Parts: sequence; structure tokens; C-alpha cells
Amino acid sequence: MLSKIWKEAFRQPLWFYPFVALAIFGTGVGLYRLVVGLGPTTNLNDGYPWGIWIGFDLFMVAFSGGAFTLATIVYIFQIEELHKAMRLTVLTGLLGYLSVLAILAFDLGRWDRAYHFVIYPNINSALFEVSWCIAIYSTILITEFSPVLFHKLGWDRALAFVKRITIPLVIAGASLSTLHQSSLGSMFLVMSHRLHPLWYSPFVSLLFFVSAIAAGMATIVCATTLSFVTFKRSLDQRIIAELSSYLPWALGFYWVLRLGELLGAGEFALIWSSGNYSLLFLGEVVLFGVAPMVLFSMRSIRMNRWASFLSGQVVLFGVLLNRFNTTWLGFLPVEGYQYTPSWMEVAIQAGVLAATVVVYSLAAHYLPLFEDEHHQAQPVMAKS
Amino acid sequence: MENHAVLVDLSKCIGCRGCQVACKQWQDLPGLKTQNTGSYQNPPRRNAKTYMLIEFHELEKANQVQWVFAKRQCMHCNEPACASACTVGALIKREDGPVVYDTEKCIGCRYCMYACPFGVPMFEWDKEFSLVSKCNFCVDRLDSGEQPSCTKTCPPGALKYGTREAMLDVAYNRIYTNPGKYIKHVYGEREVGGTSWLYISSVPFEDLGFPKLPERSDVELSHTVMHLTPTIAGGMALALSGLYWVINRRRQAEKLAAESTKESHDAK
Ligand code: SF4
Ligand code: SF4
Ligand code: SF4
Repeated sequence: MLSKIWKEAFRQPLWFYPFVALAIFGTGVGLYRLVVGLGPTTNLNDGYPWGIWIGFDLFMVAFSGGAFTLATIVYIFQIEELHKAMRLTVLTGLLGYLSVLAILAFDLGRWDRAYHFVIYPNINSALFEVSWCIAIYSTILITEFSPVLFHKLGWDRALAFVKRITIPLVIAGASLSTLHQSSLGSMFLVMSHRLHPLWYSPFVSLLFFVSAIAAGMATIVCATTLSFVTFKRSLDQRIIAELSSYLPWALGFYWVLRLGELLGAGEFALIWSSGNYSLLFLGEVVLFGVAPMVLFSMRSIRMNRWASFLSGQVVLFGVLLNRFNTTWLGFLPVEGYQYTPSWMEVAIQAGVLAATVVVYSLAAHYLPLFEDEHHQAQPVMAKS
Repeated sequence: MENHAVLVDLSKCIGCRGCQVACKQWQDLPGLKTQNTGSYQNPPRRNAKTYMLIEFHELEKANQVQWVFAKRQCMHCNEPACASACTVGALIKREDGPVVYDTEKCIGCRYCMYACPFGVPMFEWDKEFSLVSKCNFCVDRLDSGEQPSCTKTCPPGALKYGTREAMLDVAYNRIYTNPGKYIKHVYGEREVGGTSWLYISSVPFEDLGFPKLPERSDVELSHTVMHLTPTIAGGMALALSGLYWVINRRRQAEKLAAESTKESHDAK
């Protein structure tokens, strides 16, 4: 067994190894952070107690929104053609959430007390609700993904059981996602004194929810394309094109809400009169709005793997910018404090992301992520 | 119920920092290495080991430089955003006024630091396992019938301790019996739903870096939304179940119809 793994370890694609190195390095820096504390390792301070980690966490959760979005489309609306993308997307979501949990462990001042959110509930706290939902939803994602493993292991009874509870699981997952995707936004409801009005909104919860659906769709588009390029296994592009045709609608709805709120609050002029904040906002308008809406409205783009991959990337960069703005760049300054991430913060973040890529790549290699290949020759591990 | 409050009369403060020392003493907080920053304000900013700070403001008034000293610490809000935000409920508003902090519960997530409209909680950046910290109104003293360490120390009587109603009375009394001396504003009376610490001053509060805040605290909106979300999620679950049922039935019917047409076709 060990020698088999050893042999397999050298049969990965070339790009795989730098990611492994980065993951190991990041983990090392992370352990160092756990030993010496946040002060010596990060540039966080009393004026900016949250940094890029939180920004990435919020991004990753939105990014992973693909899992519940697709599950709803496939199982509730029963658009069967998209069923083939399910396993891949659930895996993407699952790994996304696990990376969030990993980063959170580095971020908490008392990570050894992480379980406190279970025993000391504060039902008024958005962060409390988010922690609960993420914990339960990760379990649901694991269950949703388990058939792939059960299949591989040949545990037919367990497989049959999970298949039977699929619909309730999907409904519970979608409801929990509604909760935490929006509650992540609710976290900022108490920050009107600190968050620039271009990002502070009484509807921030709804905005977070809708943007997570849009980001989730982009994730599905990108993930399927990536797996095609790297592993030569993916879906028919027509299926992806069908899905991405809904993206402009989701994005459009998002901007109607967001701009409408600014208009209603009489803050519309802030869009061009706020200096650097305006630039950041307009960046979002372009990346998370205009550009992908135009691109994904074109059938020629949707039908082209690379074009839709790049357009999906634009959406993801847009949502990343939005989450960074909401957690850092869009904050009003406080005298005497500044924040730019330290190299160790970057290294830990990069390490966790690299680890995610490594696991993803291994899973895509060895697990039947596309259902119609059950009966095809199994990948290397099974043969050797 | 006894409602503890403190009235800070900035016009009476002489900047002796007796309160700052008294706070450190009672709260058993270590002194920090001093650095010359070109100001008497020391340390330059509040931090995890300095619950309160006398700020030294140099203001220009009628071409003269005027020094105004401002004691800053937790305001002990009536609707504390920190307490509403705290993931684990480590921050609690006591019925008698103080907002207290439980070091045994806190997980160090630092959400309270952003939630607080006054930027009060500070983090122990220098520790391996770190928590936040803030002024706790000397609740141990209050509970034994004493007043806070800082108010007790203040030599010129710039800090006055009593019930909130009484302190508001004193504040307005001073404002109205000394026409022209004070700004007509009791800071903390209405800000974010009112605070237990109240301020009066002879210079505008904006000039002293006191945040200009609305009367309504964000906490109200946040609670409304937070209490609504479970309902929305429940509604979502119901709606999705309903949708599934409807769509599934239609599809079954379609399948049946397709089969029966096929059968009748075969029968022919
Ligand atoms: S001033 Fe800040 S820390 Fe103090 S009670 Fe109010 S919200 Fe909490
Ligand atoms: S840092 Fe501690 S006190 Fe502040 S919100 Fe987090 S758990 Fe609560
Ligand atoms: S009330 Fe107590 S803890 Fe708060 S500033 Fe005064 S002495 Fe310090």
C-alpha cells in the first residue's frame, strides 16, 4: 500500500509539485503563528483587527455557493442535464468550506476554544449563526459527497441510504446556505460607523446572498473547465452554457438591488465622488457587473470553454474584490492605524489555498467525479 | 434598579492623569515602556493594557492654543453593539449599566472591535493566546458599593459618579447655569441609543475626535434582520419542498402520459 502511494506520488502532473511545496511551507508558517501568536506574525492591529484572511474566508464561502446553487437547480428544479456537474461542484464547495475553517483556526486569538460557539450561544450574533451554519452545512456537504466514496469502496447499503435522503439533504443544505450566506452580510450591519456607505447597506444580507449565487455559478463554470484542461474529464460545454446563461440575470438582479439602495438612500453621487473608494466600487461594477453580464450574454462565449472560463474568472475576481472591500479596503480610516498584510499572512493564506488545490487535484484524479465513467477503466490507483 | 453612570466634565479636567494611573492600579495592568512622541499623551493610543487614556488635544481658539484633555474608555452603551456582535456572548450588558466581559468565554474573534462604534475593545497582540480587553466599569467595586477607581481619584472632580438620571440632571444644570461655557450637548445622552458614560465640554466634541453618531444604534436593525433570517430560511425550506413536490408530480405525470401514448401506439 505504502509503496503504491509512493509510486503514485511521482506520477502527478508537473504543476502539482509546486502546490505541494507551497502547502507545506504555508502550514509551517501557520504552525509558527499558532506558537508565537498573532502579533509577531501578522500586521493586524487595533484599528484593523481583521485582514486578508477574513476577506478570503468571505470570498471562499461565496465561491463555494456553487454547491447549494447547483443542488437546487438539479434536484429541486430537476434540470437533469446539469446533474453531471454535481459531484465536482459539491467537492469544490466542500474544499472551499474546509479551507475557511482552516484559516479561521489561524485567525482566532483563542483557537483552542473554537468549540465555545457551540456551548456559549449568542443568538443575536451574526457570527454565531454563521459558525453554526457552516459547521452543519459542511457535514451536509460531506454527506452529499459520500456516495462517491461509498461507490469506490463498494458500500452499497450506505450508498442506498444516502441516495434515499438526497432530497431532504438538498433542501436542508439550501436553507442553511440561505442563512449563512446572508448572515455573513449581516455581520456588517453593526458597522455603519466604520464601513463606507458604498458598502454599508441595510440590505447587505440580501446582497451577500445574491452575490453568492452568482459567484457559485461562476465557480461551476470555472471548475468544470479546469478539470477538462488538466484531467481531460469534464462536461459537455452545452450543459455549462445552459447554466451560465442565467448568470447575467443573477448579476443584474444584484446590481438593481445595490444601486437601488444607494439611490433610495440618496447616496448615489458617492459612486463618483469618493476618491479611492469610488475606484474600488467601480472596479466591482466592471468585474462583477458589466463585463460578465455582457460576456455571458453572448452565446459564442458561453459555448467556448476558454472564453467562459475567463469570463467566470472575471466574476470571481469581482466577488473577491467585493469581499475585500467589505472587510478591509472599504473601511473608513482610523487615525494612527494602517494595514497591509504581512508576508506570513500571505504565506499562510497561499498555503491553505495550495493545499485545497492539492486535495482537489488528487480527488479529481482518483475519484469518479463524473458519473458516466463508473464503468470506464478506473484511473491508475485501481489498476496498479 | 440602580443605574450606574459617570459624567465627565471635560472643562474641569486638568490632565493630571490620576485616573489613568488609578485604573491601571485597580485593574492590575502593567505599565508600558514610555516613548517620547512629542505629546504628553502617553501611551499614544489605548491598548489592551490601557483601558482608559487621557487624550491631549491642542486646539486653536481665537488665535490661542488651548489644551483640552479627554478621558476615553468604554462608554457602556445602553444598546451595546459589542455585546450584540460577540459570537459567544462574552460581552454582556448588566441591568445596572456596566458592559462586562467574560475572559473565560471569549474566543478572540475580534468582531466586537469592529462592532463597537467607539473602537473600544483592544486586542492582546503580544500574547500567544490572545483575548480582547476593555474597561469594565470596575464592577467589582460597584458591587461592593464603591465607586470606580478612576472617578474616586479625580482631584478636580471632573469625573462624577451616580445614577444616569442624576448625572443627566447635573449635566444640564451645569450647561444652563453657566451660559456660554459649555456646548449645549450631553455626549452620550442619545448617541447610539444612549450610553452610561456622559460627557459635557466647552469645545465641540468633533474637535476632540468623538465620533458623530446617530441616535439609533445599528443594533436594532441587526437584531431585526438576525431574528428574521431563521424565518426566511424556514420559508426557503418550505418553498423548496413545495416546489420539489409540484415539479416532481408534473414530471411523473409527463412520464405516465408519455408511456401511455407509447402503449396506445404499440397496441395499434
Ligand atoms: S463603547 Fe463599545 S465596547 Fe463599550 S459598551 Fe459600547 S459598544 Fe461595547
Ligand atoms: S473577540 Fe471575544 S469578546 Fe470580542 S466578539 Fe470575539 S469572542 Fe466576543
Ligand atoms: S471605570 Fe474602572 S476600568 Fe473603567 S476606566 Fe475607570 S478605573 Fe478604569
